[in-house]
Order: sequence, then structure tokens, then C-alpha cells
Amino acid sequence: MTQGKISRRTLLGTAAGAGTALLLGAGASRAQLSEPVRIGGLMSLTGAGGTWGPIMTKIQQQIVAQVNEAGGVLGQKVEYFVEDDQTNPDAGVLAVRKLIDVNRVCAITGVWSSGVAMPTLPICWQNKVAMLGIAASDTLAELPHQGYFLRTYVPVSLQGREIGRFGLSKGAKSFFLMLAQNPFSLAMLKGLKDEVEPKGAKVAHVIYDGTKTSFRSEVDQALKSKPDFIMLGGYPQDSASIAKDLYRNSYSGTVCGFGTAITSEFIAAAGKDVAAGVFTVFPSVAENSPAYKSLQKLVGSSDLLDTNRCQAYDQINLAILAVAAGKQASGESIQKTIRSTIGGPEGEPVGDVMTGLKLLSEGKRINYDGASSNCEFLPNGNIPNAYFKTMQVKDGVLVTI
Amino acid sequence: MEPVNDIAQLVVNGLMSGAILAVPAIAFSLIFAVLQVSNFSVAAHIALGAYAAYVVNTVLGLPIVAAVAIAFVAAGVVGVASDHLALKPLRRHGPITVAIASMALNLVLENMLRFGFGNTVQALNIPVYRDWVLGGLHIAPQQFYNFLIAAAVMVALFCLLAFTSIGKAMRAVADNPVLADIKGIDPEFISRLAVFIGMGLAGIGGVLIALDAAIEPTVGFRVILPIFAAAVLGGLGNVAGAVAGALLVGVAEELSLLVLPVAYRSAIGFFAIIIALLFFPRGILGKR
Repeated sequence: MTQGKISRRTLLGTAAGAGTALLLGAGASRAQLSEPVRIGGLMSLTGAGGTWGPIMTKIQQQIVAQVNEAGGVLGQKVEYFVEDDQTNPDAGVLAVRKLIDVNRVCAITGVWSSGVAMPTLPICWQNKVAMLGIAASDTLAELPHQGYFLRTYVPVSLQGREIGRFGLSKGAKSFFLMLAQNPFSLAMLKGLKDEVEPKGAKVAHVIYDGTKTSFRSEVDQALKSKPDFIMLGGYPQDSASIAKDLYRNSYSGTVCGFGTAITSEFIAAAGKDVAAGVFTVFPSVAENSPAYKSLQKLVGSSDLLDTNRCQAYDQINLAILAVAAGKQASGESIQKTIRSTIGGPEGEPVGDVMTGLKLLSEGKRINYDGASSNCEFLPNGNIPNAYFKTMQVKDGVLVTI
Repeated sequence: MEPVNDIAQLVVNGLMSGAILAVPAIAFSLIFAVLQVSNFSVAAHIALGAYAAYVVNTVLGLPIVAAVAIAFVAAGVVGVASDHLALKPLRRHGPITVAIASMALNLVLENMLRFGFGNTVQALNIPVYRDWVLGGLHIAPQQFYNFLIAAAVMVALFCLLAFTSIGKAMRAVADNPVLADIKGIDPEFISRLAVFIGMGLAGIGGVLIALDAAIEPTVGFRVILPIFAAAVLGGLGNVAGAVAGALLVGVAEELSLLVLPVAYRSAIGFFAIIIALLFFPRGILGKR
């Protein structure tokens, strides 16, 4: 083993390096970005998620426009690119490749479908791009994503548990789950089973192909087990067809759907008579938060806003604020900054991007509390707390119960 | 006794869904018979028919009979126009080129519907009735009426092809276009007529699906695989074969539930195509 000698040249070199680092460090505190901030929206503009994609895109475009009108982030404009994943994994992979390889985005927002998120998340972490998604499959959080996955929604197993609790509260002893073929189906089933089976209830299920137009035989299969609680775990169009067949069969038990299944579209497609009495249990949004009020103002509506809009709003705000707080437009900085600072409990509470940017420019620390949740993320990408809401269709509208 | 009842119920369900598939399957086969090309834009014309029915029934408040008629005309007219603009210029490049172009045309038409009506799910304004129970079998009145509409359409088409001079001309062009031309039959007119009737039938197929399910831009694309399988199984170009193929695919899809998980039901369409290509390359009723 030899003892290293420090020569005069080495010493001078080290000193020069340290000096440069200090100068750069000082510059970083007043940092200006050298390139535009590029953010990609991987949106389900068509396919099963086609109802939500355009709405989510519009909200994110509005936020980006606001930021750019006010001068952008750290001296640069925000460039927002949208690609349609068609709610289809193949199209999603092509879309995310385009966003990363061609548009060179540092963060990807939207990502509504678990089927799309499964193959696209590895592409994101391999390219050090942060993914801020909605996709609810539990498996996503278990992938080795190195922190690049941040989910603004509640994982589906917790939703399954909550629906199970609701069923038990209605006195259900025999549950039947009708689940669309999707990466979240088994997690939903497991969540519900874990909740109700220890309490003596039976659970049966069928996983159906949601692209079909008729589900009559699936409904016959469900009714054979004589369930007193049927859960609809698909999308509005297939859930409406199933609900019609349950109505035709004069099913008199409780029907309860997952948040993405029982929507105003479900009611329109099923009709008032068929939809009457159907319940939905879904993760609630932060209705009393300043962020929620700010979003209502942005979309020009005082009505109840759905979780997808709230999450789209939070995702784009988080990405932009993370760039401003971390002073870098990189995926690594974004995911770390969201977890370490702006998503954390310390700092001034902020619910909109403009206030957040202003406080950051004044050198203050901020805590972004979102419209969908308080936006604090665990290392696996999940939010730690989930609050649920129960609604029922009455006279053609969903009302809180 | 119960398994027998289960099988009977699955057969009934299969016949109901097969009858609905039969109408667009006829469209696919009729166009193939006359033009010798596979036109996959049938899927978008199914959706177009469903949206035409939505406008007539839900928006304007007219009865379903009017919706069926308007859907037929609207899909037929768009079919002729889109064929003239997009596919006819490519026919000289061969059937594969046209088939691929028809897929592109399908995308264009589907997205035009999306621009016009949005992505939200729509429905026809019709009441949902409770099932009839006959000998332990459940039959949904709406699905039975759909079965009757499909049967009436098929009978009307059969009469047109069998007993009218236009029908005979269409059959003549399908059998031998050169000879038909020599005999003074205008193949161009007959081609347009075949496309009009074919796409019109696809439009009616869209209404039948919409009567039972929801309407959205991909409603036709969702059923194109079993429709194609039905046409191949029946023998491409054979109208009666398309009906037999659709009923077989419909029943096979339902009966598969006895041995396969529900999620694999879609595989039946592929399976039917493989069986047809291996054992009945001209289709179960094919003559080509």
C-alpha cells in the first residue's frame, strides 16, 4: 500500500476545481435554465379512457399557458407535448418513446390506464424521466422504478378493501366481482377478499373481455352464485351493458361500482331506470382545499370535480414546481424534489402553480397541497393516505350518501 | 338437468349475438363478392350507423324504425363516397393494398365521428324490459327484437339478390365481371350499389348493437374480429355463408364459456379463422 503524495499541481488543481464548484453553486441559487422545460402528457385521448384524456389535457394545457404568459420557469418557457396512448399498451409504448426520444421530455403526466403504465414505466425509469400517473394497479409501485413513479391516485387494492367494507356494512354475505380484463383486476379482487373473507363472506368473480359489446353470459354466470352484492369493476360502457342485463334479470341485490365504472356516462348509457340505486365507492378529492377551489375557477365550474381532473391539475403543477424548486429540468431532480420538498409537510402551503412559483422565486420553501390529495409520496410512489366517498345514483344523478 | 339448461341458455345467447353479427358480416361478404376486396372500414360504418340512430332517436326523438332506415342510408352514402375517394383509386394496385387502405379509412372515419360526437358514451332512448322466462331460459325482449330485425334484413337482402334484376346483375358481376360487362351490365354501377347496400347493412348492424349496448366511436372496431371470422368461416363472398358463419361464431363464443375462462372468449374468432383456413378454405358454404 502506498501513501499518496499531494503535489503542488494537484493542490492547485483541487483548489481551482473547488473554486469553480463554489462559483457554480452560487450561480445555481439564481439559476436560469438553458433550455425550455419539456413535459409530456401521455393521455388516453381515445379508447376506454377517451372520456378523460381530452379533459385532462385541456387542464394541463391551461396551466402551462398560465405559466408561460407569466414568463415561464427560471427564464424558460414550458413546452407541453401531448401523445394519445389510445388506452392501449402498444400505442402507449410508441407514444412514450416519441415523447422521450423526440421531444426529450423530463416528466410524463396523465398515464390513466394501468395497461399503458405497465410497459411505459420501465421506459421512463431507464431514461430517467419522472412519471406522474393515475394508473391504479398495485404492481406499478412494486416495480424497481428507482423513485421515478409518482401516483396521484389510490392503489386499487385499497379501493377493493373499501368496497368490501361498504358491502359488509350493507349486510352482504356473498360477493361477486365482475372485473374487466386489466392489470388492476386481481389487485382489486385481492383487496376485497382480504377485507371480507376473514369476516365470513364468500367471494366469486369473473374477469371479462371489456372490448365485447354483450356480457349476457357473464351476467348469467354471476347470478348462478346467487350473490347479494355485485361489484362492477370495469369502465362505463361495459358496466352499463352489465347493469342492463342485471336489470333484465330482475336482480335485487346491491350493485356497487368502482370509481371509473360508475360515472355520469354510465348513467347516460344505462338509462335512469337501470342506473337507479347503483352505488359507487371511490377515492375522494380534497374538496375543501385551496387547490380544488383554484381548479374550479380554472375550469369555470362550481360543480363537483372528478378525481381525474384534480389529478391532472396536481400532476402538472407538481412537475412545474419541482423544476422551479430543484432548479433543474431533469426527471431525477423532479422526482426527488417532489418527495423531499414540495410534496413534504414543511413550507408555505400552496394550491396553485402561480403562487408556488412566486414564493419559490422569493427563495421561500413551499408545500404543495393538491386538489386530489395532499400530494405527499412514499418512496414506492404511492400516496400514504386515502379517503373515500360513497355515492348512489338517484333520479339520474350521482348523489353523496 | 341443469347443465342441459345452461347449454341451452348459452345457445340462445349465442344465436342472439350471432344474428346481430350476421348483418355486418353480410356487408363484408357482399362487398367482397362484387369487388373482390376486404373492406375493413365496415367497422367505422357500424359506428356511423349507431351515431345516425343516436341522432334520429335520442336527439330528434323519432322511433327506432326511422333510426334503422336513416342509419342504412347514412352509412350507405358515406360508404359510397369514401370508397370512391379513398379505395377506388387503389384498386388497380391489388386487393392487399385496398385492404390496408380500408384500415386507414376506418381510422379516419372513426376519428371524424370522434370530432363530431366526442368520446363520451351515448345511448339510444329506449326502455329496458325485464326478461321473458320460457322453460327456464331467459330471453331479453330487446335482444329478441334485434334478432327479428336482423332476420327481416337478411330476408329482404335474399329477396333482392334472388328475385330482382338488380340482384341478378349483382350476382352476375360477382360470378364473372367480364362476362357481365359483355352482357351489358355496368360493373361500376353494380360496384357502387354493392358498396351502398353493404355499408348500409353495416350501419343497421350498428343500430342493432346500439340497441343492446352503448355507442362510442370504437363500437364497430370492437366487433370487427368476429365479423371477419364469420365472413371467412362462411366463405368470403358468400352471403348465406356469412349468416351461417356469424351464427356459428356467436354460438361458439358462448359455448366456449363451458371450457374456457370468459376472458378468452375473443380467441374464438381467431380460432374460427384458423379452422376455416385449415379445413374449409372456401368456407363452410363457400364455392370460390
